[in-house]
Amino acid sequence: MKRAYGLCVTILLIVASAAVALGQAPGKASDENVAGTVSILDHVWLDAAHNHDGETAAWLFAENFVEIHPGGILVTKQQQVDMIKNVKLGDLAIQSSDIQVRYASPDVAVLTDTTTIRGTQGETNYSGQYRVMRVFVKQHGRWRAAGAGIARLAAQ
Amino acid sequence: MRKTYLGILTLILSFAPLAFGQTKSVAAPDAAVDWKALDHKWLDSEKTGDLDYLEKFFADSYVLVLADGKTYTKKEWLGILRGADRPTLLTLDPENIQVHVFGNVAILTDHTTIKGHDSKGNSMDGEFNVFRVVTKQNGKWLATGVVMNADLAKK
Repeated sequence: MKRAYGLCVTILLIVASAAVALGQAPGKASDENVAGTVSILDHVWLDAAHNHDGETAAWLFAENFVEIHPGGILVTKQQQVDMIKNVKLGDLAIQSSDIQVRYASPDVAVLTDTTTIRGTQGETNYSGQYRVMRVFVKQHGRWRAAGAGIARLAAQ
Repeated sequence: MRKTYLGILTLILSFAPLAFGQTKSVAAPDAAVDWKALDHKWLDSEKTGDLDYLEKFFADSYVLVLADGKTYTKKEWLGILRGADRPTLLTLDPENIQVHVFGNVAILTDHTTIKGHDSKGNSMDGEFNVFRVVTKQNGKWLATGVVMNADLAKK
């Protein structure tokens, strides 16, 4: 009887220590190159916009994604994905440069870039340079875009 | 009887690792944060020149992008607010504040009305839709980035 009781206590201790170990694991600092990862995702994002690839955009954007376009227009994930995949709106040549990762942690990254756009969509001519702030968040082990703010650079 | 209790206890604890694994993978929403108060306090401090507060509230990596794309770091922006050429802000009022929380980062969007002038008396009046990024660092929510956009619908 004493042996059975001791066995149960041992099992309990093993299970309890597993709980603690699992609880700590996600909080540990990762060796992941966050800056490198989100810099690549910056290009993935713009390639999706250029190629009218709504599927990739939907994969990249978090559910609560928000973006403010030049002119102050606020769009949700669904609105932004719909705009990207709408081939009737016309093609834009989009290129990012000067990517600077301003803040990086194991689950959040904020970067700025200079995005150059050439082209017209609908009646709007987007040609110009923009300063863009992009926010990325790691959800369920994968980096997603949480939002972006975009300001048109004044002509020099 | 004791065996039965121990069996039940073992079963309950065996689910604990699963529970821990799930809750830690996504940071819990910060229900206690009053985001609208945080936004108002932020802008009130810029208006009144509460630089002690802003020094603590701005993350070291803080970056401000104005509506014309000009970009300022924390040091540069606080330098302007401290300097003799600091702008006079009579109104700095955020409305329609919307909050998007993603664990350790929150994106606030608001409509900000600015009334004021620069040190030379040039008007700074305008209406802006603003993208604000706040990150949780060492347990504190810190302003990390801002992008301003003139609200063309209001022109």
